[in-house]
Amino acid sequence: MWNMKETYETKIEQLRKIIEKIEDGNTGLDESIKLYEQGAALVKQCEILLSEAELKITTLSRDA
Amino acid sequence: MDWFNRPDVATVPEKAPLRVSELSAIIEGLMDNPLLQDILVRGEVTNYTHHARGHRYFSLSEKGGGNTAAVVKCVMWRSDAERLSFIPSEGMEVIVAGTVRAYAPHGAYQLQVKEMRKAGLGEKFLLVEQWKRQLAAEGCFSPERKRCLPTFPARVGVVTSETGAVIHDIRTVIGRRYPLEIIISPTAVQGEQAHRDISSAISRLAGMVDVVIIARGGGSFEDLFPFNHPDVVRAIVTCPVPVVSAIGHEVDVTLSDLAADLRAATPSAAAELVVPDRQVLTACLQELKVRLNGALQDRVAWAWDEISDLRDRLRPQRFLRKLEEKKQNTADLSDRLERAFSNRLGCERLLLAEMKTALDSRNPLAVLARGYCVVEKRGTVVKSADTITKGDRMNIRFYDGSSQVIVEDVEHERNL
Repeated sequence: MWNMKETYETKIEQLRKIIEKIEDGNTGLDESIKLYEQGAALVKQCEILLSEAELKITTLSRDA
Repeated sequence: MDWFNRPDVATVPEKAPLRVSELSAIIEGLMDNPLLQDILVRGEVTNYTHHARGHRYFSLSEKGGGNTAAVVKCVMWRSDAERLSFIPSEGMEVIVAGTVRAYAPHGAYQLQVKEMRKAGLGEKFLLVEQWKRQLAAEGCFSPERKRCLPTFPARVGVVTSETGAVIHDIRTVIGRRYPLEIIISPTAVQGEQAHRDISSAISRLAGMVDVVIIARGGGSFEDLFPFNHPDVVRAIVTCPVPVVSAIGHEVDVTLSDLAADLRAATPSAAAELVVPDRQVLTACLQELKVRLNGALQDRVAWAWDEISDLRDRLRPQRFLRKLEEKKQNTADLSDRLERAFSNRLGCERLLLAEMKTALDSRNPLAVLARGYCVVEKRGTVVKSADTITKGDRMNIRFYDGSSQVIVEDVEHERNL
């Protein structure tokens, strides 16, 4: 079970930062392409995280 | 008794007598005992009077074996009596909340009543009120304590009954919105001992989940009563992760609801509050994806513009063309200069010829060529016979030469 709090949220945050960097005129083309590759990988990972989420039910024992 | 022969009467040291006010102060001091502060008392209302000023005076009595076993005088000041939801009457069985105070001027003590409920249900209502004050003083309900729910929880803890609609509703909503791990911590949700069960069910989840839902379906005040218990409230407060409550219907507010970080109207609403909607997340992600692609496309397009500009600036043909242009400009200018100059020269020539003709027409020598001559005397042209006399030397100029003459005679033509 992946931890959504630590993965999805941070990934989305990283993705936003990457987009902002590319949009910023000061970033070079080379770096922009590298950032794009990272961003595309993050999108893919997030898509997987969202599509793979599944309901799991655990019931605790009352004697614990 | 033989007063006079008591042997030790003189040996007992005599205590100074207390003044009445001093004794009264001691009694008042004793009344400060916590056992007498903010207490609940159950009894029967007797000698009830509604004073003209709005204060209520009465006694609470307890009967035992047909006789009155004990009586306590009570007062309820107008400000508190105004909140009464019913009119107390003789013989009514009630529960009051208040504090015992001594009243020095009457040499009596009385119970100052803050609240009064009819016995039965009233007992529990008053108990809840008392717990509420107590827990509020502990800061259990303070808004500063309230925590924000995690945006993306990994696991949701649910404290509720294992069976019934509540857990079903929560499962359905979470499954639809964002399927993730639900950890059910089962508990009894009503009954005398339910509060213990609920509080340990909450504690059991510590460290296992990111957010906790405490839920129970609708029920009577008594059914929901365990959720008012301080054990449950404290378990919520000490829970290391945020707690969402959905207990009973929206109109029933338990102390657990007041202590929870967030209160939901129904268990389904609580489930909606704790998990994000996957469809919304997917849409957001899609938006970011489009923006990412757009950002790179823009960046590449910008780079192309930059390159083509640089290439243009670097091309030799372009430079040569510039040079040709300059040359052409210079040649054009030179042509213009020449043309302007020759035009001007022609003009000047024409002017000069005209002037020469004019000058020629005025040349006195031309007149002489036609057979006239000019006579000069000492360099001055002689225009009249009056200016000469016999013997004057004069110079006669012809068109082709001159001659020196001496005047022999002068004739005047007076009739002119």
